[in-house]
Amino acid sequence: MASKGLRKVVAMSDTSFDVSVGQGAPGKKRWSLLRIGGRFWSWVWFILGAIYFLVPLFATLRHSLRMERDVLGFKAYERAFEDPSFLETFLLSNALAVATIICSAILIVPTAYWIRLRLPQARRIAEFITLLPFVIPAIILVFGLIRTYSTHFTIPFTDIELFQPLTTTKFGTYALITAGYMVLAMPYMYRSVDTGMRVVDIRTLTEAAQSLGAGWFTIITQVILPNVRSALLSGALLTFAIVVGEVTLASFLGVDAFGPYLFLIGQHKAYEPAALSFVTFLLTWIAMGMIQFVTGGQGQATGAH
Amino acid sequence: MSYLSLENVTKQFGDAVVVDNFNLGIEKGEFVSFLGPSGCGKTTTLRMVAGFELPTSGRITLDGVDITDKAPNQRNVGMIFQAYALFPNMTVAQNIGFGLRIRKMNSTDVHARVDEMLNLVNLEKHANKYPYQLSGGQQQRVSLARALAIRPEVLLLDEPLSALDAKIRVSLRQEIRAIQKRLGITAIFVTHDQEEALSISDRIVVMNVGEMEQVGTPFEIYNFPKTQFVANFVGSLNNADAEVIDPANGILAMDGVHFKTAEEDFASRKKGDKVKFSVRPERFSFAVEPKKDNVIDCTIENITFLGSVVRIQIKIGNTNFNMDTFNNPFLELPAIGAKEQVMCSKEAVLVL
Ligand SMILES: Nc1ncnc2c1ncn2[C@@H]1O[C@H](COP(=O)(O)OP(=O)(O)OP(=O)(O)O)[C@@H](O)[C@H]1O
Ligand SMILES: [Mg+2]
Repeated sequence: MASKGLRKVVAMSDTSFDVSVGQGAPGKKRWSLLRIGGRFWSWVWFILGAIYFLVPLFATLRHSLRMERDVLGFKAYERAFEDPSFLETFLLSNALAVATIICSAILIVPTAYWIRLRLPQARRIAEFITLLPFVIPAIILVFGLIRTYSTHFTIPFTDIELFQPLTTTKFGTYALITAGYMVLAMPYMYRSVDTGMRVVDIRTLTEAAQSLGAGWFTIITQVILPNVRSALLSGALLTFAIVVGEVTLASFLGVDAFGPYLFLIGQHKAYEPAALSFVTFLLTWIAMGMIQFVTGGQGQATGAH
Repeated sequence: MSYLSLENVTKQFGDAVVVDNFNLGIEKGEFVSFLGPSGCGKTTTLRMVAGFELPTSGRITLDGVDITDKAPNQRNVGMIFQAYALFPNMTVAQNIGFGLRIRKMNSTDVHARVDEMLNLVNLEKHANKYPYQLSGGQQQRVSLARALAIRPEVLLLDEPLSALDAKIRVSLRQEIRAIQKRLGITAIFVTHDQEEALSISDRIVVMNVGEMEQVGTPFEIYNFPKTQFVANFVGSLNNADAEVIDPANGILAMDGVHFKTAEEDFASRKKGDKVKFSVRPERFSFAVEPKKDNVIDCTIENITFLGSVVRIQIKIGNTNFNMDTFNNPFLELPAIGAKEQVMCSKEAVLVL
């Protein structure tokens, strides 16, 4: 992602210099020198940026390969993977991530759709709400969740009990943490879905489907969803990356997720955390690569009409 | 009672009256065009028939059934949009079959109907392509096939050709008209292109800011416009100010030049009234029969080739008029600045 962004910057500065060449025809030589200069500086910035990202990563990798004295090897990786907790927590986090993505999609696709279609004036409010997770730290969210859901929940002013404390049961806790993750993932999910809906003209597509006899469920599942699929996917992969590495919610709610596990062994072991960090890094990158791949392919299919 | 009828249909958005007391009956199998300038409420009227907008007041009936409040997906109405609105995630065949699958038609029947429709619009070869792989004209034909596949009671077309280039526009409009005639389907066609409306409609509804100006066949609309607006909007027109000279005999004068009109109400006017009159450019011709109603002296000001037509600017009195004649290689055009005589019949002089 980062490298692509940088490459874009390079390309942009290139074209802007090209334009000035066209305008300043008389001093052509000087301009083209400047253009080379522009490209040079773009590369300098690109390389600096790359170093900033790659050096720590490289250090982590090197460290993780040095568990045995004087040899480079995958011992740390073997050790890390041997621990049964690794697989347990990793699988749990994956399951939670999938649950988060599915629930978010069910919530956000119809919401974003309805706002675009019928409540365009509510878009600013929706955007503001989806940005809240950036402003309010996860720790506040988790304390709010615990305070609200660790007691018996009654309908206000009555004694009718709605549900048992969620934090006392395993399923309840998983439901709670999934809801929490949905909040954290909202900025990514909502924004990517909303952008996806801007690309296709959902209003006209909706009307076309309606005039052919389709009801809301059919429209959302057969027309809207397939056309925002790539946008949804990019949101989903970001969500995945967030959930798998998340520490705050999981540790305060006492869920044995991958994030707290990584944190724990980080405090007790020397080489394994580096190995696992690197693996998580790779996973994230694979996720990013998949976004690029999937959206790249789809973008051509839907974007060209 | 008509097959499709709009009775006293009014639509307001807030305080703005966009469609004002619209009354129209359309017979089964008729092709009606809504013609009018941008923002006059054509789309809004069409969308009320489709069910996308609810009339503020009034009633819409289709085949004797009141459909005013019916949801769009409960009406059997085909809609064609300017932007094609094909589902990008579906192939041509899937697009055409969409409405049929919603109607729970079994797959062999869907297949057969889709093939029939592909055949109708000549797109058999493209059944498995995606919309983005087709040209604009092809996409619009798919959209036509998709709308017709459900055998709609009415076909609504909202400027379906506006996004296409001129050549395809002409061939596709003929294709649409031919298919409509063959299937005997009732259609409403929205356009702001008068030539389009004139060439394919059974009847034209000329609209102006929410109101109907005139309803009639293309022939009536063009030759006997009832209002100044219709006369100006449909075809091109020369307009001039004049003074009534002799109401009984239909004589009026412009810059001292007398014109004779056949306008029916002209007798009710008073001598000395100021009026506006109009003459279509093609109604002028160079005078060869002196017996014609109006034989007028003029000066040739300018000559423009427009392909099949030659437009000649003539000066009558102090006013410039356009005059159109068909182009042909043997045409002898007068020189610029020459004094000539032109003529036009008294029916050509419209006083509105
Ligand atoms: N949803 C809406 N809310 C408010 N005003 C609207 C709405 N839809 C249309 N209008 C207004 O109603 C008027 C008529 O619009 P309409 O789309 O029917 O015009 P039209 O004849 O189809 O024009 P065009 O040829 O440009 O398509 C316009 O002034 C438009 O601004
Ligand atoms: Mg319109």
